[in-house]
Amino acid sequence: MNNIWGSMEQYDPVVWNWIIAVYLFMAGLSAGSMLVAIGLKWYKQSRGLPTEGLPVIKAAAVIGPVAICLGMALLVLDLTKPFEFYHILLNYNLTSVMAWGVIALLIYIPLVFVFAALVFEKQVLHYAPWLAGVLKVCRQVENTLNKLIFALGLGVGVYTGFLLSAMISYPILNTAVLPALFLASAMSVGSAGNILVATLFFSKKESDCIEQVHRIEYPVAFNEALCLVLLFVGLNFSGPAAQAATAAITTGTWASVFWIGVVGLGLVVPVLASTLAPKAWRHSKGFLITVSCSTILGVLALRHFVVYAGQSYIS
Amino acid sequence: MTKRYVLVHDENKCIGCQACNVACRSENNVPESVTRIQVRIEGPYGNFPHLHFKYNRVSCEQCENAPCVKVCPTGAAYVNDDGIVSINEKKCVGCLYCVAACPYKVRFINPETRVPDKCDFCKETRLARGEEPACVTVCPTQALVFGDANDMSSEVRKVLDTKPHYQQKVNLGTEPRVYRIPSRKGGIKA
Repeated sequence: MNNIWGSMEQYDPVVWNWIIAVYLFMAGLSAGSMLVAIGLKWYKQSRGLPTEGLPVIKAAAVIGPVAICLGMALLVLDLTKPFEFYHILLNYNLTSVMAWGVIALLIYIPLVFVFAALVFEKQVLHYAPWLAGVLKVCRQVENTLNKLIFALGLGVGVYTGFLLSAMISYPILNTAVLPALFLASAMSVGSAGNILVATLFFSKKESDCIEQVHRIEYPVAFNEALCLVLLFVGLNFSGPAAQAATAAITTGTWASVFWIGVVGLGLVVPVLASTLAPKAWRHSKGFLITVSCSTILGVLALRHFVVYAGQSYIS
Repeated sequence: MTKRYVLVHDENKCIGCQACNVACRSENNVPESVTRIQVRIEGPYGNFPHLHFKYNRVSCEQCENAPCVKVCPTGAAYVNDDGIVSINEKKCVGCLYCVAACPYKVRFINPETRVPDKCDFCKETRLARGEEPACVTVCPTQALVFGDANDMSSEVRKVLDTKPHYQQKVNLGTEPRVYRIPSRKGGIKA
């Protein structure tokens, strides 16, 4: 554009890009997989069933720490001053959602490592026998630890939504539904991730405890779909700028990402697959891998859609 | 807060000459690729032959209830006693949260310091010496009036008390300290 007032480049409303979308995905994946695994553990324990060595819990013990660490690495590299990131650990402005997130992650991250170490105790002790004392203490407080991780997992899942909803001028982001949507989709990507890793690496029998994870998939998918409907119906009643933002799901590239990725891959494919697929397929490796990959891609698409389409419409 | 610095932009007097833009750049050593203020010439509005343009000043609104300050995780974005929204470069990690949260989109990353930058009413230089911001001083049509709105005898107080004015995006509750006198031809379009 040729204007006399200068370059408009700095006025691009999209400030946070795909790196943030992937970080939000990773944080959701980590929190969701921990929530699902700990929930499953409690479910089994309440029925007096054994919980040791469950493939899904092993999978969560891998995904939990790995996903959050990769996510944090991306987040730090995305700062304009990555080598001065430690300031965020020293200064806290408690009106900022991000500061609360830092506090939650500061406790959450070491605890998921403890969770993983307890799940893979044998392997850990094999390589680091000097950890025996620490692990013994951790084992004694395992139940409390799990409750704490569960609470922090909820916190991490919800905070990623509040992080975006605190930005008051973006109508798609500035809604109370967003944290709920992010938590619901974190649960669905967490269970899909757990099934994927469990099937690929830890499953001896094909149907190893995947049934219970499947059971939470329906309510989670329902909640996710409900949040999406609430989000866009709500925009319709929130004034002209918000109403204009509903164009995000009707026009442009992000509308395709929404309908193909978020709705198609993330919701329709998994729900149809588990209702219509013949029984013989349901516990086959190929089927589980395909369906969980579809859900994971759907949630990745959701994070990208929210970050980009959310910032593209400003009130 | 003893002082309440505000700026009034009279859209009737403004001619969109960009002298303020240039003066700001020179006073504050703003790198060429970025800018602290722009006066955008929007339009034409109206029906031929009665056409007119709107001169829209785009710069930090010095919000009383500043979203950038609220979201900053480290407190690097803060408000001083004079009510000027400021940036502590040392505390900033460059997370861009403030840039994203600003409803007026006036924060940018300074390519030299890697820290968010924006208008601060020239507080370190001209204001510290008791002078007015560079844009106000240089404006050829006196479209800009700057001063302490808490001082009942100030010119800015008189202008705000006597002329109709508006602020942008008041519905967001940010309470901007940049006031605008709407063009007689244009009417208010916030």
